Amino acid sequence: MKLTPIQKDAMQELANIGAAHAATTLSQMLNSQVDMSVPVVNVVDISRVSDCLGEEFAAMVVFELQGEISHGGYVVFHVSKESALRMTNTMLGMTDMDRPLNEMDQSALLEVGNIMVSAFLDATAELLGIVMLPSPPALSMDMAHAAFESLIAQLTIEVNEVLLFKTELTCEEHKVAGNLIMLPEAETLEKIIALLEGLMAPTS
Amino acid sequence: MTVPEQEPRKENAVMIGIGEHCVGKTAMTSIGLGSCVALILYDESRKIGAMAHVMLPDSGGKQDRPGKYADTAMKLLVPALSPDPLHNRKITAKLAGGASMFEYFGKNLNIGERNVEALKKYLAEQKIRIVAEDVGGKVGRTVTFLPEEGGKVFIKRADGSCHQI
Repeated sequence: MKLTPIQKDAMQELANIGAAHAATTLSQMLNSQVDMSVPVVNVVDISRVSDCLGEEFAAMVVFELQGEISHGGYVVFHVSKESALRMTNTMLGMTDMDRPLNEMDQSALLEVGNIMVSAFLDATAELLGIVMLPSPPALSMDMAHAAFESLIAQLTIEVNEVLLFKTELTCEEHKVAGNLIMLPEAETLEKIIALLEGLMAPTS
Repeated sequence: MTVPEQEPRKENAVMIGIGEHCVGKTAMTSIGLGSCVALILYDESRKIGAMAHVMLPDSGGKQDRPGKYADTAMKLLVPALSPDPLHNRKITAKLAGGASMFEYFGKNLNIGERNVEALKKYLAEQKIRIVAEDVGGKVGRTVTFLPEEGGKVFIKRADGSCHQI
């Protein structure tokens, strides 16, 4: 899989718009400023995914892409345990950091993930002129790589390389950081690239 | 009963990513196994081992990454460790991984379980004995294999606990 520099730029811009909308919703929920990094779009060999997501504990809220594109791939909201705790604490007015993630944290994470990923998909789908909806969320609280490789294993079209979009969202005030990661199916990716190229074509 | 262990140092270990494999005496490690399974073969008489990070049960004829599939990993690793099939019974196997990380997704796909089943079937066909396993469940596992130390296998989980199989 090789993207031309123009395709890569276009994908980056798409992720940028989606992530900006997601960041706004997170900012509203935390009632505080949220900054986002420039999205990174990378083609990664499956054997090297561990360089991006390791064995550290993470909370990952996972959505399948549905809508016009069924089984379109996955969108993941990824946060460290500390960030997950700080996020729930902030939203519920608590301070205790020395506790395990409980059911309340889980439902808060699912809800935050749901709102952010819906905003991300709404914005990208609107730009592309298609309908993209998230499935109900699934949550994994375990090793980041273990959750992610399970998603790669269940992609419909088997691949040796995956395209990862990754944007980091940080809230300085509450020391909360999370990543939005998109893992599109090969077909979805082709469709998105075709739509983006359509958008960039001169309309004389 | 499993006795808590100190995780061995991994700096010098060969990192085996998804679909990769390794044969030799060197320490080997796979990080964060979810539905994937670490197939570990060991020849105690020669203190040589082999390991693959298996992602799917069936290659469907694909040859490009033998370590990625249960069938091709077995076809590659068994002869590499034991050129003579009569020697197979001296080889022992350990399996780790094959979890189901998400309750909602892929429950009907059950890739982890199918990986383990496929490997067990092929191991039985080759008359290779499984001496230890830590498979299934909902947990991620980091596996470290030390052929030169009697084929010890350490498994670490996300909560930081570590045990030997």
